[in-house]
Amino acid sequence: MNHDDRSYRAAAREAMEARFARSVAACLTASAEQMSPDVAERLRFGREKALAAARRSRGEVRGVAVTSSGAAIAGVGGPSWWVRFASVMPLLALVAGLVLIQNWQSRTQISVAAEIDEALLGDDLPISAYRDPGFSEFLKAPPSE
Amino acid sequence: MATDKELSDFLKSVEKRAWKRAVYAVRDDDAALDIVQDTMIRLSEKYADRPAAELPLLFQRILSNATMDWFRRQKVKNQVVRNFSEYETAGEDDFDILETLEALGGPLQSESAADSVSRAQILQTIEAEVALLPARQREAFLLRYWEELDVAETAASMGCSEGSVKTHCSRAVHALAKALKAKGITT
Repeated sequence: MNHDDRSYRAAAREAMEARFARSVAACLTASAEQMSPDVAERLRFGREKALAAARRSRGEVRGVAVTSSGAAIAGVGGPSWWVRFASVMPLLALVAGLVLIQNWQSRTQISVAAEIDEALLGDDLPISAYRDPGFSEFLKAPPSE
Repeated sequence: MATDKELSDFLKSVEKRAWKRAVYAVRDDDAALDIVQDTMIRLSEKYADRPAAELPLLFQRILSNATMDWFRRQKVKNQVVRNFSEYETAGEDDFDILETLEALGGPLQSESAADSVSRAQILQTIEAEVALLPARQREAFLLRYWEELDVAETAASMGCSEGSVKTHCSRAVHALAKALKAKGITT
């Protein structure tokens, strides 16, 4: 009996609280409807921006889906592997290009130096060289190696 | 996936209440507008592919997070903590809500008036008292009774237990009833 009474009082209290709360909520709704045009306009602007963001987001999702399905058709593995590979490709191409350029420059320098050496060694020694004291000393000196 | 129209209609239906909720929390109209706009954009960017039925709960969660972010940015964490401690001590008196609630009976109104000026004053008073509630109590109260989420959804949105939601709501109702009665807003 006592327990029933307590339960009844608790339920009644809860119902009263809910009724009061809904009355307050109705007043808050009425108050919210009376907002200034400036605020309403800024909310509308925010809503438009949000919708544009949603369209962008959906477009990106579709783009990724198309890329993934293309990779799957080409049989080059899963979408994440393909996307990762595609993003690393430009870097790999850059590094390979730099190595090739460095190699080509080195070869060019070697061939230019070889041409100069060949021209010097193949040419006759001028007479004036034998009268140069420095050159005479160089000829007398023992080879360093 | 929610269509553009569904998303637009949903945002239109919640934006005013969301702005008011943010105003109650941060007490700054412009900051509240920024928070609501940020919430709408975050929802649209991250959850545009979700079904329309999931949007209300997600929106409330993001709004709560955006409001907390604002407080963090403003470095007023101490103020929030103070509000939480107010909640700890609130609602421990022997005020009998039944007495007030039974007196209220129908829609809230002032003792003397039915004209529009007094109605506007009543609405202002109620808003002010709602704004004065401790943060967690106010959030629970507004989600449960204004946004009409059920207890489980409110708990999920606030990141707390269902029991805590019931306690917050009950204390908020008691505090509001007491404050409004003190202001003469009864039948």
